[in-house]
Amino acid sequence: MSAPVMIQILKDMGITEYEPRVINQMLEFTYRYVTTIIEDAKIYATHAKKSTVDADDIKLAIQCRMDQSFTSPPPRDFLLEVARQKNQTPLPLIKPYCGPRLPPDRYCLTAPNYRLKSIQKKVSSAGRISVPRLSVGAVSSRPSTPTIGTPSAAKAGTPVSLTGQRFTVQIPPSSQTTVSKTTTPFTPTVSNVLINPSLIGSKNILITTNMVSQSAAADSLKRKHEDDDDYDAL
Amino acid sequence: SSDDIMSTKFILKMAAVQGGMVDEKEEVDIKTEPQSDGLMNTNATDGRQLSPSPSSSSSAGSSKSAAGAPEDQQTLLAVLQFLRKNKLTESVEILRREAGLPEDALDTKGADCSAPSSGGTAGGVDGLDAGSLLSRVAVSSSAGTPAPTKVADDQPDVSVVLSAYSQQGDPALYKVYYSDLKKFIESVLDCHRAELSQVFYPLFVHMYLELVYNNHESEAKAFFEKFSGDQECYYEDDLRVLSSLTKKEHMRGNETLLDFRTSKFVLRISRDSYQLLKRHLQERQNNQIWNIIQEHLYIDIFDGMPRSKSQIDAMSGSLAGEAKREANKAKVYYGLLKEPEIEVPLDDEDEEAENEEGKPKKKKPKKDSMGSKSKKQDPNAPLQNRIPLPELKDSDKLDKIMYMKESTKRIRLGRENLPSICFYTFLNAYQGLTAVDFTDDSSLIAGGFADSTVRVWSVTPKKLRKVKSAADLNLIDKESDDVLERIMDEKTASESKILYGHSGPVYGISFSPDRNYLLSCSEDGTVRLWSLLTFTCLVGYKGHNYPVWDTQFSPYGYYFVSGGHDRVARLWATDHYQPLRIFAGHLADVTCTRFHPNSNYVVTGSSDRTIRLWDVLTGNCVRIFTGHKGPIHTLAFSPNGKFLASGATDGRVLLWDIGHGLMVSELKGHTDTVYALRFSRDGELLASGSMDNTVRLWDAAKAFDDLETDDFTAATGHIHLQDNSQELLLGTYMSKSTPVVHLHFTRRNLLLAAGSYAA
Repeated sequence: MSAPVMIQILKDMGITEYEPRVINQMLEFTYRYVTTIIEDAKIYATHAKKSTVDADDIKLAIQCRMDQSFTSPPPRDFLLEVARQKNQTPLPLIKPYCGPRLPPDRYCLTAPNYRLKSIQKKVSSAGRISVPRLSVGAVSSRPSTPTIGTPSAAKAGTPVSLTGQRFTVQIPPSSQTTVSKTTTPFTPTVSNVLINPSLIGSKNILITTNMVSQSAAADSLKRKHEDDDDYDAL
Repeated sequence: SSDDIMSTKFILKMAAVQGGMVDEKEEVDIKTEPQSDGLMNTNATDGRQLSPSPSSSSSAGSSKSAAGAPEDQQTLLAVLQFLRKNKLTESVEILRREAGLPEDALDTKGADCSAPSSGGTAGGVDGLDAGSLLSRVAVSSSAGTPAPTKVADDQPDVSVVLSAYSQQGDPALYKVYYSDLKKFIESVLDCHRAELSQVFYPLFVHMYLELVYNNHESEAKAFFEKFSGDQECYYEDDLRVLSSLTKKEHMRGNETLLDFRTSKFVLRISRDSYQLLKRHLQERQNNQIWNIIQEHLYIDIFDGMPRSKSQIDAMSGSLAGEAKREANKAKVYYGLLKEPEIEVPLDDEDEEAENEEGKPKKKKPKKDSMGSKSKKQDPNAPLQNRIPLPELKDSDKLDKIMYMKESTKRIRLGRENLPSICFYTFLNAYQGLTAVDFTDDSSLIAGGFADSTVRVWSVTPKKLRKVKSAADLNLIDKESDDVLERIMDEKTASESKILYGHSGPVYGISFSPDRNYLLSCSEDGTVRLWSLLTFTCLVGYKGHNYPVWDTQFSPYGYYFVSGGHDRVARLWATDHYQPLRIFAGHLADVTCTRFHPNSNYVVTGSSDRTIRLWDVLTGNCVRIFTGHKGPIHTLAFSPNGKFLASGATDGRVLLWDIGHGLMVSELKGHTDTVYALRFSRDGELLASGSMDNTVRLWDAAKAFDDLETDDFTAATGHIHLQDNSQELLLGTYMSKSTPVVHLHFTRRNLLLAAGSYAA
């Protein structure tokens, strides 16, 4: 299998115009395909306790690969039958005054595909940097771009008031100086920071930052779990 | 002996029935033959006791269905004959006893075979299904003429019967049959030769596929080599595909060829030519050809002048032959839906002037002439509620008013007044531009690319903005007049936006009529709905599991259609995650899908070179148009809904009358694939854009006016096409090595074109 052979094959198939890189790509593909088939065939031959690979093994290997990678569309009688059934149901009536007409939220890509998790505090050494971790969990299994909630009121799930919610962010002592210059490093202070609410819809989240004193790490920390069930309900 | 000939032929016929290849009508005829016995041979009376009717089958001891019984009967008889030939007399006796066949089964078998066939001749309808009639005639007439060559002489009858797919005789003799037919057709009169030559291509392909399917590889190759050069040039691509197909396994994944094998190729032949062919095959013993023809071809006979070669060439070329006349007989409501009455204000500042008809206004606004004046329903238009359509929102009504205002400023185009053309060239797309669409008001342009992105640009100086986030929206004053401006986030203003989401090249793009949504379809098998307010993806519609080649929104929004590699087109609504209708019937990929202006019909063009018009309400195919010689890439409806224009890789633009189902014009001129077609806003001009880097303007008004309407009433199924492409061509405009991918007439009849510069 070499380039002149591939050129001849392309000519036989009636392909006259192609970029020169196409030949290399076709050769690579051919090599990969043939080795895959032969490897599969070897496996089948050993399974059948044969000493050599013969034509039947190759045929079986090709067939299995066809069904796996190179599937073909459904046959016509199947399509006609499915079409007949689908076309029998009358067209659904259109509800008036609906806002954006979209399928149920489960089938849309409009749900947030991330949620914010609270950190499990492990007070072993105060020198450890613990940074709030954002876990990007997929709420739906489809990849999508994070969307801003649509302005219309088409939202599923009951809105939950989160005004009382707090979750704590632990900031290591080394970065305290950047956070607040007015307070001394070793006094625990609480400051409210408003996170950009557009990340989480229309809820306001209060974040309390605790300056961790090295000595009283264990008791002075208030740890509150933010309730991340709210996010699941979205 | 003639008995053997009879039996063989009848067995072959029965085997064809068994193979399920014969259509219903023919089967019914076979069953009713014993009752209608016009022409009777002397031995018919004896034979009738064993004729394959339900009553006799019981005597044979089987209680199977009527269709199954004659076939079994004949199989047994064939086996008997085989044993007899080989002098296995004891086995013959045992088999005869066990099968319950009467003693004289074998002797009257010959007569038996002739009787039902001959009996059917007079009773058979001299009608559309030529194949069955011919075979019956052929069998009975050959009963009279003794002895020419028995077809399957060198093969025992039983193997013929027992072969899985009615082997049609010795493969080595296929070449002989074909050359005989060729010699005959070359010897007929000129006027008939063109019509009869239509038979070559389907016969050739079917015979070749039979040979391949039954594993006669070397004969298939020899057959192909000998006769493939004789076929018409426009079948070249098909033949190339066939040449690489030499084994049965090769056919396995190729759905198009499998469909071709199982569907009937339609030929339209005039009665005179058909009589000629029939007479010839009555004289010779060309039964193998007849069986194949009967199995695979449908001959639609019409009364009238035989067609010339050019007429035939204009309409042939598709993978399924031409269209039967019945396929194009259903009523199609091609008229437009009535526009709602909206009063257009005289003053431009008068924003709240829109009113439903009847309410008096202070400033006496001019009533618009866009809505129909008469209250009577146009008989060719569908009812308003034939299919559910979304109601008009306030924003839609405002859009309509804008539309009417723009249309008053529209330039009237014509032969003397050609439009200006503005070409939007996509630079640095590196051959990656695969789809383009403009909004109806020409304010936005979207491009789909091979790198799976969709990019939207603003054509006007107004930039693209995203809607503000939910928190910010809470802060704005909802009652203010310019609320629609305030919801936009100025920080996100930009000339273009990129939409990511697909995982394969984007092959089709469509804006919604209200400019809120954008659809895109891609090689990854999904159709995605994007919001143009937030520039994010809203829904992914999964249904085609194979590349989707084209998609389009309905002119009223809410519905959209998509077509792809799985040979079907699907109708969706934006709020259903599954399709509402599936349009199945094409033999190959659906490459182009368009809505009719009244949204009640969808037209699809396919790689099988046919165009089909589907009814949205029922999902049925109401029109089939053949004539293109290559896959169809673009379709366009005329604004009045009556006519359809189509463009394909053969470079021709064909014009079709939808109501009558006929081709009305052929526009030759382009030298490469036609990728874009668009009628001007009033239907006066047709613009076509092609891979040969030109945009051509055609006089559509003249093409439709010049039709001789008395031809339409003829039942022949075709009209005489004038060769007036040169007169209809109004202008050819070259671009600088930029193939034209999309065309769009603005509301004022300025022509916009789009393409990607190929250096």
